[in-house]
Amino acid sequence: MNTRSISFRLVAWYAGLLAGIFLLLCAVLYLDLRHFLEKDLAESQSRRTRQIANTLLVHVKQTGESYVASQTKDWYKPEINDRFIRITRTDGTQVYVSGTPDDGSFDPAEVPVFSPSSETESYRKLKLSGGKTLLIAALNFKSSGNPDYLVEFGELLDPVETMLDRLFLQLAWGLPLAIFIIAGGGYLLVRRALTPVEQITQAAERITQHNLSERLPVSSTGDELERLSVSLNRMITRLDDAFQNSKRFVADASHDLRTPLTILRGELENFACDARLDSELRERAASLLEEVVHLGKIVEQLFTLSRLDDGEAQTEWTRFDLTELAQTTVGQMNLLAEDKGISISCDASQPMFVKGNHVRLKQVVVNLLDNAIKYTPENGAIQLRVHGVNGHAVLEVKDNGIGIPPDALPHIFERFFRVDKARSADSESAGLGLSIVKSICTAHGAEVEVQSTVGSGSCFRVKLPLSKN
Amino acid sequence: MRILLAEDEKKVAGIIVRGLKAERYAVDAHHHGQSAWEAASTYDYDLIILDLMLPGLTGTEILERVRRKNHHVPILILTAHDGMADKIKNFEMGADDYLTKPFAFAELLLRVKALLRRGPVNRDSVLRVGDLEIDRLSQNVKRAGKKIELTAKEYSLLEYLATNPGRVFSRTMIIEHVWDQSFQGLTNIVDVYVRHLREKVDDASPVKLLRTVRGVGYSLNDGSQT
Repeated sequence: MNTRSISFRLVAWYAGLLAGIFLLLCAVLYLDLRHFLEKDLAESQSRRTRQIANTLLVHVKQTGESYVASQTKDWYKPEINDRFIRITRTDGTQVYVSGTPDDGSFDPAEVPVFSPSSETESYRKLKLSGGKTLLIAALNFKSSGNPDYLVEFGELLDPVETMLDRLFLQLAWGLPLAIFIIAGGGYLLVRRALTPVEQITQAAERITQHNLSERLPVSSTGDELERLSVSLNRMITRLDDAFQNSKRFVADASHDLRTPLTILRGELENFACDARLDSELRERAASLLEEVVHLGKIVEQLFTLSRLDDGEAQTEWTRFDLTELAQTTVGQMNLLAEDKGISISCDASQPMFVKGNHVRLKQVVVNLLDNAIKYTPENGAIQLRVHGVNGHAVLEVKDNGIGIPPDALPHIFERFFRVDKARSADSESAGLGLSIVKSICTAHGAEVEVQSTVGSGSCFRVKLPLSKN
Repeated sequence: MRILLAEDEKKVAGIIVRGLKAERYAVDAHHHGQSAWEAASTYDYDLIILDLMLPGLTGTEILERVRRKNHHVPILILTAHDGMADKIKNFEMGADDYLTKPFAFAELLLRVKALLRRGPVNRDSVLRVGDLEIDRLSQNVKRAGKKIELTAKEYSLLEYLATNPGRVFSRTMIIEHVWDQSFQGLTNIVDVYVRHLREKVDDASPVKLLRTVRGVGYSLNDGSQT
């Protein structure tokens, strides 16, 4: 799962936030309930200490202490009800202490004396050895004419604790489950809401310069996503227009350049070949003619590019052996390299069948080799290699020439781009050779990349999908 | 030989007419599609040179009409478009040859001659230029009786130049015939090959056959033809 995706982040945030709020709520609920129940129990005990004091101890002079003891035992039945009652005179004499309760959870004789020193501390909790808790409330009874008594009344906290434990258990189970359901449901909801985004992404991926007439799917839901795809479509339309304009410009320009070039060339040829003219004049005409031919070549290459833009390389596809094509081309170009004292080695033996426009793919090899020969000094070496790498045929042209500076590398496939403006003067080409390579490769779904180090050479790599049958 | 030229660009037409007339052809030039079509349907031409972009009727329409009348007249198409699809379409409609602007007049002339002679350009199995002999069957080349060893490409180049001795071949023409379309724009390869060929064919002899016509191209010439 992609942890950076919107759906994941949205669900994680929302589940986390909910979990936090739930946890807080449960803690408050639990603690508050616990506090309330304990306080409630303590209050009912305080009430009972007051009952004992106000109904029995008040009349102790008349009834005697033994009456108080027997009445207390009768009213509260401490042994049956698991209660603890102790009435002590302040001088330490015990008036009454309840017996061991039926469940035997504590021994009343062992319970330490609790005498509240202040008004606020009206009860206390006593942890028993059996793990249970005894909640004891106490009352100092003072009345004129009577001795002072301490009345202690205790009861087990058990039922409250059992209830709280059960609540805790339920919350401990319920909370994660609820979060899990919320997160799952939320994820499904978000995924559903984001499906159009996925579709838009995929459709946008498919759009290249060759199918700019395609548009993204628009779901007429009236929501933000519809607006997004509509405005993206408008952007593609503007791109399409701009692209068509520039394509038309190149096509029209190269077309309109051809007629004047034909006239120039025809007239200059006449001059250059006219025996009646002075030889110096003819020489000048010939020099002009060379420039016109060069100009014609640039127009030719521009036109080639505009035809490639039109998808020409996507026609006339055949299946052929790239290795064989590489070998023949090296053979044909060898002399050109030898002329500069450059050696070309061809490391290609395994047949590599690919599908494509044979003429254009050959042009790729020709242009790459020509480029390598052009920028490799005398006595250099060029290596052409064809090999297979997981389902792809890789054609590599490596030279040990002057190399390309790093800041020029990203631009070398651009039209009319020159690494070194000064160097272009004597060179024949127009800076379109590599653009043509790039264009042909793109049309074939092939990648073309370059690595280069200034002074030690460049390596161009073309990666074409292998054809299976 | 009478040639119809339909080309709306008057200057281009002028150069072609002048050049063809110098070669002693009779040329009728029309700058409008309609008048070109009328001429084509009235007279019996030996060759029609058609520009595709014509006012009135387009070159393609004229081509269609001429072929509908079942004329066997060779038709050479001139165009500023050289898209593969256009080329195929026009060939299918009955064009015999195709030349893209800008072209060298030498190339136009060579194609015109080839179309007018329709095939038997030079069927001799042995081509002779001066004391150079090229046997097309065994692919043996001899200069003054001495055998010259050539590579396959050098041989193709020499044979191509020898098919029309004295004629100037542009580098583009040589590339198209001896190499293939992939080498478009790589004309320096021709210069390298010609230099190698020159070393083998001309260096040992006082008469230089391989000539460079600056700005235009190369020709094989023993001096008897110009």
